[in-house]
Amino acid sequence: MKPEQDKYRNRIDLLQGTLDMLILQSLQWGPQHGYAISQALRARSGEVLQVETGSLYPALHRMERQKWIAAEWRQTEQNQRARFYKITAEGRRQLAANRSRWNTMVAAIASILEA
Amino acid sequence: MTGFSRRKKELDEEIEAHRRMAIADRIARGESEAQARAAAEREMGNLPLVKDVTREKWGWAWIERLGQDLRYAMRQMRRSPGFAATAIGTLALGIGAAAAMFTVVDHALLRPLPYKDAARLVTLQETGPGPNNAWSAPWLDIAQWRAQSRSFVDIAFSSGMRGRTYIQGNSAALQVDGQQVSPNLFAMLGANAALGRGFIAEQPNFGTGKNAGGIVLSNAAWRDAFGGDKNIIGRVVRVNDEPWTVIGVMPPGFRYSPSFRGAPVGPEVWVAVHLGENDTGRDYKSDHYDVIARLRPGVKIEAARAEMATIQKQVAAQYEDPEERADHSLIDVKGYADSLIDGDVKKALLALLAASGVLWLIASVNVTNLLLARSMARRREIAMRGALGASRGRVMQQMIVEGLVISGCAAVLGVGLALGAINLTKSVAPINLNVNFSTHLDLTILAALCGLTLLSAVLSSAWPALMAVRAPIEPALKQGGQQAGSGRRHNRLRSGLVAIEVAMSLTLLVACGLLLRTIYTLRHVPLGYRTDHIVVANLSIPSYRYVNKSVNASLYQPLLERAQHLHGVQAAGLISEVPLGKTFNILLTLRMNGNDISAALKTATPDVQKIFGMKMLAGRFFSNDDTPTSQGVAVVNPAFAAEYAPNKHDPSSLLGMTVWNLRQGMPAHIVGVLDNERQKTVAEPSQPEIEICLCQITPESGIYQPSTIAMDLAVRTEQPPSQMIPDLRDLLRQASPELANSRFSTMDQIVEDSFGSQRLAAHLLEVFGGAALLLCVAGLYGLLAYVVSQRTRELGVRIALGARRRNLLWLVMRQAGAMLLVGVVAGLGLALASGRLVRGFLYGVKAHDAWTLAAAALLLFASGLLAAYLPARRAARVNPMEALRAE
Repeated sequence: MKPEQDKYRNRIDLLQGTLDMLILQSLQWGPQHGYAISQALRARSGEVLQVETGSLYPALHRMERQKWIAAEWRQTEQNQRARFYKITAEGRRQLAANRSRWNTMVAAIASILEA
Repeated sequence: MTGFSRRKKELDEEIEAHRRMAIADRIARGESEAQARAAAEREMGNLPLVKDVTREKWGWAWIERLGQDLRYAMRQMRRSPGFAATAIGTLALGIGAAAAMFTVVDHALLRPLPYKDAARLVTLQETGPGPNNAWSAPWLDIAQWRAQSRSFVDIAFSSGMRGRTYIQGNSAALQVDGQQVSPNLFAMLGANAALGRGFIAEQPNFGTGKNAGGIVLSNAAWRDAFGGDKNIIGRVVRVNDEPWTVIGVMPPGFRYSPSFRGAPVGPEVWVAVHLGENDTGRDYKSDHYDVIARLRPGVKIEAARAEMATIQKQVAAQYEDPEERADHSLIDVKGYADSLIDGDVKKALLALLAASGVLWLIASVNVTNLLLARSMARRREIAMRGALGASRGRVMQQMIVEGLVISGCAAVLGVGLALGAINLTKSVAPINLNVNFSTHLDLTILAALCGLTLLSAVLSSAWPALMAVRAPIEPALKQGGQQAGSGRRHNRLRSGLVAIEVAMSLTLLVACGLLLRTIYTLRHVPLGYRTDHIVVANLSIPSYRYVNKSVNASLYQPLLERAQHLHGVQAAGLISEVPLGKTFNILLTLRMNGNDISAALKTATPDVQKIFGMKMLAGRFFSNDDTPTSQGVAVVNPAFAAEYAPNKHDPSSLLGMTVWNLRQGMPAHIVGVLDNERQKTVAEPSQPEIEICLCQITPESGIYQPSTIAMDLAVRTEQPPSQMIPDLRDLLRQASPELANSRFSTMDQIVEDSFGSQRLAAHLLEVFGGAALLLCVAGLYGLLAYVVSQRTRELGVRIALGARRRNLLWLVMRQAGAMLLVGVVAGLGLALASGRLVRGFLYGVKAHDAWTLAAAALLLFASGLLAAYLPARRAARVNPMEALRAE
């Protein structure tokens, strides 16, 4: 029971733009299906970030509509048919823009906290 | 929607793949299959919700929801067809009436004229002080306006061709509407000829010879007379036997005739006006023109009015005759479109549009009430949806969609009703009402209809929906059954709506009653002549054939002879205009015994007295002894006698006086005074009138020419008049082919037609008032029936506790009585307030006539109580055992 609660406390509510950025970033490493994206985000954040299906799929379908990512059906290595997403040129531009905004914000917040 | 369902399946598959991979991962990490499945499902959460939220991102979720709502609404309608039929029927009635009236009003009043920027066109008319006639203007005045005014881009003018106009076509002579126009007119209207060059927009002048300007044909004249001959330009055609060179054919749809909104316009021709010696002065001998001008961009009509008022002072100063100077001292600048429709008709149409609007409101209120009742019955369902998490907006949307479906069906049905109604009206509307009843549905009408439908839907369903979703969820769920004591507030609201319906219906009924009384009074005004068994033909005479020969000898005498010998004819006569005919008008101003006299002039043959059964106050009517060579005779009417007789109380003092010279050296002596006669309208007393004997008019006579233009053949028959018409038409055709086009009517019909706008308004209000009464009764019945069914249990308990059935009957009737009373009182107030709208159409009855108000109120009250009696009786017959067991 204890670890569940901790995990819950450590979880960070992701701002919409942030989730987009993280998904786009994880697609930088190659086309992925939804489950793999959520696993990758969890693993790379050291189990801190757990993206809920209720946020992940709406975000994927929205970005697909915005043409930041494109989707196609493929087989996984385990022979499971899954919908793979890959980042588009438009998506890369979006990612770069998001990153620089993020960096600016982090720097700004940091300078406030350290002042 | 195949794309949508495919994507839906794909999403299901995508999520399912996610689930499988999550389970497989957990199993690979060593969990048991059951454990893994449970954990994965917990982690993924509410999957239908996830899918819902995801689908929303596709951006067409609203379509999906709309589809759901539509399907749901259809299901609801199938489940209660009675309710659906009532609601749709009611709304269709309201929408249909409003759409029909709007179509008519749109055609008659709103539709812009078929000219470029028609709103900038104005007419200029000279007037005098007082309620005077407006006059057309002589050329000298127009020239001065043109030279001095700065408000107008251009000023053009026109006048009708003299007499009836016939164009000789390829096979036959065609009667046309002919206008002489200033050459700049068409350019000013923004119209170009479709064939040929048309008129060159130059100033008219005195130099060019007559007929030099050429003739322009309307599309209809070109088609009908010349079969649409493409090589018509340059051809010489004959109009009233004069040669004209065709220089243009106008495109279809173009028309110009100063009164073209009147009876549907037939073929038209236009010739360039030729200024001659009649255009060198400013008196009664001069030619007068209808003037139309285009305002300069940015110039307001008020500014133009002010400028023209100043200019007109100088213009009027040049009139020599003091009376004429006064008559032309002012100028009236009016929007051209406004000048084309009769003020009375305009008022009638707008009042009727308002009436149809009221009917529509009543229908909407009625449907609102129905939907309110249903939303009460569905309270539980709605509460359940709320409890399951449906948002208020969502529930409201769904109910509004239901309303839209109902109004949509109603709109389709309403259009059918409207088209039917217009076709029906077309056949009963008097021809001289000058309203174009077209059943042509166009974009404006459709847009208005959509607006009406949407408004109906919002009005009738949004409010009940709001009431329904606002209701707290819990009590509705707890109390459950239909029998729950439905909110008292709700019933009060619905009673209020019924009272509003009653009030509005009463207003319509009162207006209808007033007009029916008006028509009744008009029909019983003593006319001074008989109207039964008389056929009237308004002759279309080819005037040009009789310019210098006696029309009497060559046309009228032989025609009368033959008509009198026709089987079934008792007497036949000619009169320049039958009473109430509204076809022709000559106003005579002359001096008699040192008095200025102004009177209408008519010509008639002796038999006219017999045909119309006119009585004489004094002296005699014309007889066959009056001939072109005998003493000149004239007959006057009582209005003339009252005005001009030497002894005002004795009409016979006029006898023997001379009034007018029929021609040089032939004075007309007054030989008789007719008994009263209504000339123009039944409602107004006659104006002074002089009648002269047709046989004494010769080509040398001053009024010879009018007598070749306007003549009515009146025939007294033994059989029903309509049976005589074919024979008479044959007879006319034999006399001259053009005469076959004459317009036939009966004297009874002419009297009916003279009621014009009143008759139309009365007929339509009968329909509107009847429909309103019906709706109102249905609304009352519906509400009470619903209330009784809701209170079955309570009523059962009352009976079980010893209440008498009579008491229960009284209980329901009392409720109905209260609603009716409130509605009737409010309605009487409304009727009094709206009396102003109908006052102009009334004759012999006041707008606040107590009898009419009382009768309408009583009718409504009685029908209301009758409608209430049925549910009341049901209430009284409630079986207590069954009522209580039902729970």
